[in-house]
Amino acid sequence: MTIIKRRHFLGGSAMIGAGLMAGGMPRLANAQSTEITVTAFGGVWEEAVRKCFVAPFEAKTKAKANVSLGGPPQWLAQVEANQAKPPVDVLIMTPDLALTAAKSGLVDDFTVDKIPNLAKIPKELTDSVMGKGTLFDYGVGGITFHKERVKNPPKSFAEFVDRVSKGEFVASVPSIAYAVTPIMLIWAMAKALGGGVDNVDPFFKAMAKMKDNLVFWGGPNDFFNHLSSGEAEVGIYFDGRTWNHYDSGATWIDFINPEEGGSLNGVAVQKPKNANPLAWEYINEILDAQNQTKFADIMNYGVTNSDVVYSDKIKPRITPWQKTAFPPYEQIAQVRNEWVDRWNREIGR
Amino acid sequence: MKRDWINLGLAAFVVLFFVFMLAPILIVVLVSFTSAGYVSFPIPGWSLKWFAHIFEYQPFIDALIVSIEIAIGATVLSCLIGVPAAIFLARSRSAWASGIMTFLLSPLSMPMIVIGFASLFFLSWLGVGISFAALLITHTVVCLPYIVRTVAGVYAGLPRSYEEAAAILGANPLLTFWHVTLPLIRPGIMAGSLFSFLTSFDNLPISYFFGSASTNTLPVVMLSYMENQFDPTIAALSTLQLALAVVALLIVDRVYGIDKMTVAG
Repeated sequence: MTIIKRRHFLGGSAMIGAGLMAGGMPRLANAQSTEITVTAFGGVWEEAVRKCFVAPFEAKTKAKANVSLGGPPQWLAQVEANQAKPPVDVLIMTPDLALTAAKSGLVDDFTVDKIPNLAKIPKELTDSVMGKGTLFDYGVGGITFHKERVKNPPKSFAEFVDRVSKGEFVASVPSIAYAVTPIMLIWAMAKALGGGVDNVDPFFKAMAKMKDNLVFWGGPNDFFNHLSSGEAEVGIYFDGRTWNHYDSGATWIDFINPEEGGSLNGVAVQKPKNANPLAWEYINEILDAQNQTKFADIMNYGVTNSDVVYSDKIKPRITPWQKTAFPPYEQIAQVRNEWVDRWNREIGR
Repeated sequence: MKRDWINLGLAAFVVLFFVFMLAPILIVVLVSFTSAGYVSFPIPGWSLKWFAHIFEYQPFIDALIVSIEIAIGATVLSCLIGVPAAIFLARSRSAWASGIMTFLLSPLSMPMIVIGFASLFFLSWLGVGISFAALLITHTVVCLPYIVRTVAGVYAGLPRSYEEAAAILGANPLLTFWHVTLPLIRPGIMAGSLFSFLTSFDNLPISYFFGSASTNTLPVVMLSYMENQFDPTIAALSTLQLALAVVALLIVDRVYGIDKMTVAG
């Protein structure tokens, strides 16, 4: 029987500890330099991110990109709580949260010397998030309809309001619980009807006229259920999501970009301060024309690199960003709470 | 005659109540077997492809493993902390006891999203950051009240004479606990553990703040998937979860007896 003496035990423990330190420290250092954590939404979005951005990044840099699934509010809170060592190296954000991150000083400036492909992104899209990120992908909030039930769909927001008010059809519109409603519905419709950020009265008047023929969706799946179940015939929805439904077999669905221009709802990419510098390489891949072309093909959404040539399949589906109504995200963020309050008082759903 | 009508009305009410409660679940189950590429009802045909898709989508599997690990870990930790606390507090005459009990039960009355958000900043400040440990600690905080409440409830209802008899017969406190107290409070521990496991396994508001590439739980991945994907995979996953919960309850009932979990002794 072996008796372990206290001195032997302490000595052995010290050696094991030293060994672990020696083995562990380089691994830690290695992990910091050759691994980054990037973000993605779940489902086909994540698959597209892996195929179009992660794979070329890993092939070029020989580094690893771990994909964290979730949503922008979650990632922003995590970065805010861990500013010295952010748990994610690349953020995918909605424009309003991208502006919050920019104003809070949580993210780095985007420059061409750090991201060469930024030169191919229209300046307006980078300026819209204060140059601390850029939009790389966008959807258009327009009129989606059931083409078997609506043979002659409304072509503009004005016509939409007029015909819904008359009870020609029931429309499904986003509720205030949906994060993008202030942009895709309140601002877009107010602008189309002669108002704007400073004057949303036309929107609220239109909603009052339409109120008996409206249903509200809280999430994209609700909208689809409204249309498929017959609860509504038309609605305000995104182009990319409409085409995704179409491709999955719902061939009765169709989309129109309203004559006044549907709102551009962008997805921004940002790099948190103190994140791994390898994130710049990954962001450069996100902004690459070839990678964005593949991404658009999978997602049915527009992308922002000016060299992108869409495939024949999706070209007719994509609205060029110049033909959309480009929201003044920063101004909308300032009056957003006021609009939500007015919605709650006047519409209440 | 009048009594028959009352009974009939009551029976009809019960049937309607169950239909109201179960019909949405039944529709989810039916939709999970659809052959269509999107959620619609009635379904155009039958298929198992959405169940197959669950296993093809690796994040679901990874997240399921994390969810199970966290739910088991939080339940075990809650038992280790909660059972001694409950035993002490249930019969304590200290003025502090009710205050401490209220404190331990307070996560039940707080919105989970507040606990999640506050824990994220607090644990990050402590240096625990976004990690499995942080997720486990926060889940334990919200699981603990279930153990404390059920064990304290059972223990408070037990006569002191059982433990006193053991002591008189020469058993030390540890032996008394092991051979007398523990078997008596076991229904409380089992019931609390079941609630605790299910609370952790289904939790979204807390897990959401601690999600990362390696610590995402199933509800977080399901939410992210559902926001951007429209196929019936989530319906299939819900059906699978439902089936697992039913099987688990049947096993618990067979091995232990669910009725014993709510009755002391």
